[in-house]
Amino acid sequence: MATETNEKASGGKSAWFVLAGLVVANLLVGFFFAPRHVGLHTAPLIQLPNFLAFLGVPGEWLPPHVTFTWLVMMILVVFGWVVGRGLRAVPGPLQNFAEVVIEGFLGLLDQMIGRQGRQFLPLVGTAGLFILTSNLLANIPGFQPPTANWNTTIALAVTVFISYNYFGVRKHGLVNYLKHFCGPIWWLAPLMFPIEFIGHLARPVSLSIRLFGNIFGEESVVTILLGLSWLIMPYLIWLGVMLPLSLFTAAVQTFVFIMLTMVYIAGAVEEGHGEEHY
Amino acid sequence: MSDDEPSVLRQLARLSTIGISLVAATAIGLLIGYGLDRLLGTKPWLTMLFTLLGIAAGFLNLFRDVGLIGQPRR
Repeated sequence: MATETNEKASGGKSAWFVLAGLVVANLLVGFFFAPRHVGLHTAPLIQLPNFLAFLGVPGEWLPPHVTFTWLVMMILVVFGWVVGRGLRAVPGPLQNFAEVVIEGFLGLLDQMIGRQGRQFLPLVGTAGLFILTSNLLANIPGFQPPTANWNTTIALAVTVFISYNYFGVRKHGLVNYLKHFCGPIWWLAPLMFPIEFIGHLARPVSLSIRLFGNIFGEESVVTILLGLSWLIMPYLIWLGVMLPLSLFTAAVQTFVFIMLTMVYIAGAVEEGHGEEHY
Repeated sequence: MSDDEPSVLRQLARLSTIGISLVAATAIGLLIGYGLDRLLGTKPWLTMLFTLLGIAAGFLNLFRDVGLIGQPRR
């Protein structure tokens, strides 16, 4: 209580300065930047002319989710190249960071899949880093996250779907893997097989819709808030509520996606294909 | 599931599938049935059958996700 009043007495003036600065910055952003460059329904900062028109891609510019997918790919490739070029026994800061990330993925894989889990690092790690980077891209004004488009997430989810089925077939052989769809009771197999089949087909749909829906919804709210940012209050809401929230959502959605990917892989490659599934 | 601390996030991951996968399984069953009906000309029957199968698949997934039947997922 006492410190609060103290702070109020000493810092009251600077708080007003900060607020005034925020208002000025807000007006600048609101008038000159936000209406044209922020959000899903306006032109993003980076645009490429449509050089794929001969393939049937419509429009004057390439769709933004394609452009920003390439941007995310570029970020990741350059980062990997820079880290991989200067590997040392005593890691520098960049290599340390990369090692922490990779160790995190490996720990999750060990936990979820077990001792055969590390061979799936390329799939899970790539998906996780790609999704995390593109989700975080949402918070830079003028950039659009590729994961806010269903085409990107359905591509990721279909990749995961095909991969885990392939891993299962590779591990157990086609007949044994399909047998695992048929349930424990043999005379229920004609009923169980279509049910399991539909249940498995629902997985990529739910994976992709969850990721796309979360990021798209968040981007839409941010679009509306920043479109109204000349009213000042929406801008403050964005700064105080939506920005921390979307940083949190980015991490959580990445985690959910790779966690479910690992659950699916674990279910497909599991050793004892007996009574229980998954 | 009781041995390590990030299990809250893991349960969040697992449980957040429930709502969507229930709907998605039903919708996929319906779409498969509708497509097969268009293909084979057996107008209402396969749609009904596969919708029911889809609903069953959705509930099977639901029961598995909340651990009512089978081994709970890790």
